[in-house]
Amino acid sequence: MSATPEDAVREAGQYDDLVKSEYEHGFVTEIESDTLPPGLDEDVIRAISQRKGEPEFMLEWRLSAYRKWLEMPTPKWASVHYPPIDFQSISYFSAPKKKEGPKSLDEVDPLLLETYEKLGIPIEEQKALAGVAVDAVFDSVSVATTFREKLAEVGVIFCSISEAMQEHPELIKKYIGSVVPATDNFYAGLNSAVFTDGTFVYVPKNTRCPMELSTYFRINTANTGQFERTLIVADEGSYVSYLEGCTAPQRDENQLHAAVVELIALDDAEIKYSTVQNWYPGDEEGRGGIYNFVTKRGDCRGARSKISWTQVETGSAITWKYPSCILRGDDSVGEFYSVAVTKGRQQADTGTKMIHLGKRTSSTIVSKGISAQHGQQSYRGLVRIAGKAEGARNHTQCDSLLIGDKCAANTFPYIEVKNPSAKMEHEATTSKISDDQLFYCRSRGLSEEDAVSMIVNGFCKEVFNELPMEFAVEAQKLLSISLEGAVG
Amino acid sequence: MSAAAKNIATEPQAQPGPFDGWLRGTGDDIDAVAGGLSWLARERTDALARVRGQGAPTAKTEGWRYTGLRSLIEQDFRPVDEPLTAVVADDLEDVLVPGLDAHRIVLVNGRYAPELCVTDDLPKGVRVGGLRETLAQDPDALEDLLTRIAGEGSHVFASLNTAGMDDGLVMLLERGAVVERPIEVIHLSVGMDEPRVAQPRHLVRLGDGAQAELIERYVSLGESLYCTNSVLEIALGRDAILKHRRLQSESPNAFHITGLYLRQGENSRYHGVNIGLGGAWARTDLIMRFAGEHAECDLVGLYLAGDKQLIDYHMDVRHALPNCSSRETFKGIVHGKGKAVFDGLVYVAQDAQKTDAAMSNRNLILSDSAEVDTKPQLEIYADDVKCSHGTTVGQIEPEMLFYLRSRGISAPIARRMLCLGFAGEIIDALGNQALQDYVAEQVGQRLEQAPI
Repeated sequence: MSATPEDAVREAGQYDDLVKSEYEHGFVTEIESDTLPPGLDEDVIRAISQRKGEPEFMLEWRLSAYRKWLEMPTPKWASVHYPPIDFQSISYFSAPKKKEGPKSLDEVDPLLLETYEKLGIPIEEQKALAGVAVDAVFDSVSVATTFREKLAEVGVIFCSISEAMQEHPELIKKYIGSVVPATDNFYAGLNSAVFTDGTFVYVPKNTRCPMELSTYFRINTANTGQFERTLIVADEGSYVSYLEGCTAPQRDENQLHAAVVELIALDDAEIKYSTVQNWYPGDEEGRGGIYNFVTKRGDCRGARSKISWTQVETGSAITWKYPSCILRGDDSVGEFYSVAVTKGRQQADTGTKMIHLGKRTSSTIVSKGISAQHGQQSYRGLVRIAGKAEGARNHTQCDSLLIGDKCAANTFPYIEVKNPSAKMEHEATTSKISDDQLFYCRSRGLSEEDAVSMIVNGFCKEVFNELPMEFAVEAQKLLSISLEGAVG
Repeated sequence: MSAAAKNIATEPQAQPGPFDGWLRGTGDDIDAVAGGLSWLARERTDALARVRGQGAPTAKTEGWRYTGLRSLIEQDFRPVDEPLTAVVADDLEDVLVPGLDAHRIVLVNGRYAPELCVTDDLPKGVRVGGLRETLAQDPDALEDLLTRIAGEGSHVFASLNTAGMDDGLVMLLERGAVVERPIEVIHLSVGMDEPRVAQPRHLVRLGDGAQAELIERYVSLGESLYCTNSVLEIALGRDAILKHRRLQSESPNAFHITGLYLRQGENSRYHGVNIGLGGAWARTDLIMRFAGEHAECDLVGLYLAGDKQLIDYHMDVRHALPNCSSRETFKGIVHGKGKAVFDGLVYVAQDAQKTDAAMSNRNLILSDSAEVDTKPQLEIYADDVKCSHGTTVGQIEPEMLFYLRSRGISAPIARRMLCLGFAGEIIDALGNQALQDYVAEQVGQRLEQAPI
């Protein structure tokens, strides 16, 4: 890229400044927390369950998950590296102190609201702005829920999972753990035992959710693992779009985040799940970032149902997640659109699983990986077409863009086909931003930064197109900020 | 006499493994072969320790995820002990390729059979012989080749071969030697009264600028039951060119394991065509390494897995140096209860800038109970590279069949035509008319006989 060695030196210096640009959302809000001491045993689980006033069956479920978890080995197969996690040094419950459940925003701790404002998520404005209802999760307890009445009018249940356990125990009992069983994997087992809160959505039959539902996750109190549990059930013929976005304050210690998301779509239902993830990625040497070990899975239980995952992953020190679809119903559809950016010392092992069981099921996978500096990125995906999945169809595309010569991009697709009528295509490419592309843009007066940003945005366009409008803008901005200083 | 080598036979076995039987008696064998070469004895002792330490791969072992070993272990193979002398030139008639003009080398049950070879008019600078005799006469010629390219190998079967090798082919081309006519190597297997495993070790070296075409064919007499666990080590010097054709079409009861380890020098070219028509169970590992820049490695393959057959191709191409290119183009046709596994890995190290790598795997499934598992992988640590992979799995379009049938062509013939069309690109890559016709005929026959 550089014409002369002097240029190279100058450019390097210039990028150094940019590389050092700090994490924008790094701050800790000081709120008194009601926190359990670090450590994990059955008493801790009982305490969590008791504090949350859960029904008896939940405690039993948690305990059995915990007992099974104790016997599970830590997964080692992902190509990510991190020191062993001491599960006894984590505090498993942290609730912002509250007198009574807040009835409106006025009752919410003003410090909390201030934090949201710092993040550029003005809750008041969002209330006014049509379309988005926010169930903001600050650490582990929901403190602000809006638009509940409006949703209640059409019968949509949108609340924290703790509330749901008290108000709709029959739905929880029926669906929780039915997509991601407690024994599914190590981190899902841990989550099942200790999850503190999360979101529950139920969309009744033949209902189109009138607005996009959104939860902003926040990680706050130092040393607190965050174990969220999300359960979305779309009953026959319904539709819901759910947005999840995250930022986190800067801190020194690694923080474990092991969430579980379960989606269930019955006949003719559709769930669209979008994520923008921008947790603290750690400093230049990778210290202190979030470990994001998430299990996300959707079950297209009904015929003609559809589940669509869209994710933009720019944060976290380590990302380990595979939003998956089980295409059980005939003619069901699964989609996965992903943009993942790793820079600094970030590591990401992400992808999807599409399990075709029903007839004429189809799935689409579009994965775009961008790796810069020392970023390590792997796409790991499974497409399985079972013997009975007559006429199943899959198209997979995974592209990687490398920026710099110390980063890595890996592709590990697994394809298992047991039906002759299946049509399966997979393609993958790896490339860098070509000098020609850059030269073209720069000769038209764009700065190198802008040119790169433009090319990268073009590279990701297919995925951004799948995001809801507000999120798409945010995601583009996030991508530009993430890549600031990573180019050169 | 090496004490270490002796231990192979006499040392009490720590824990009995499923493949211990494969090695019985080899200690004495290698002493007879190696004549007390200490380096070789050490390699073999180490290999034996690895076999005992590793045990058998299971379904949890990543490289064996889709390839079950149970049927192989159940056979409880014993090593081939005596060279089979009963085979005469007439027995070869059935397995020859009509019209193929080539120098001919024959190995029977893994043993070099000089009486069946036709190598009189090989040009100067080409040396062909058996591993056993070469080690006895001129071991120095092999010291930088034998076990030096495969190293520890990629799995337990390479170690088994190192510990249990009894003979094999040695082909050494001096610097600048050019062989105009292809060299055909027939690996003939003949079943014995009980299940036997042969573990031949083949060594090929092309000196700087040497050129050759090597046609390897794995064939068997009748429907014999046996296992071949072979390892090939190939070293290409600077500017050397090797065209390598490997045809595997063995008895429906045969088990076949090959590990091909290649090291390419600067600016060398390797063009390999692998045709796998099977046996009962076949596993091939192609392990490609570059030792110099600007080398090209081109791998092409066709596999046809029919009833109850398993064909597994594993590829591991590692770009550690800049400016090399590699291509893998594999196609598969799976019918009946056949199962095909394709696992390709292209690894590009941080310094391997300007690497050009492309991998493609396309599969046709013809029946309900057939299965294809494919896993094309890229691991890339350099930015200025061009890498891609693609894979497809599909069936013959009913419209195409209908078109042909509406013109009066019967279904089996139509299917044969379409499959040969699909496979044509690979068959053409053989670049030898006699061989192309022979393979096309074999593929066509197999497809026509297969139940629809």
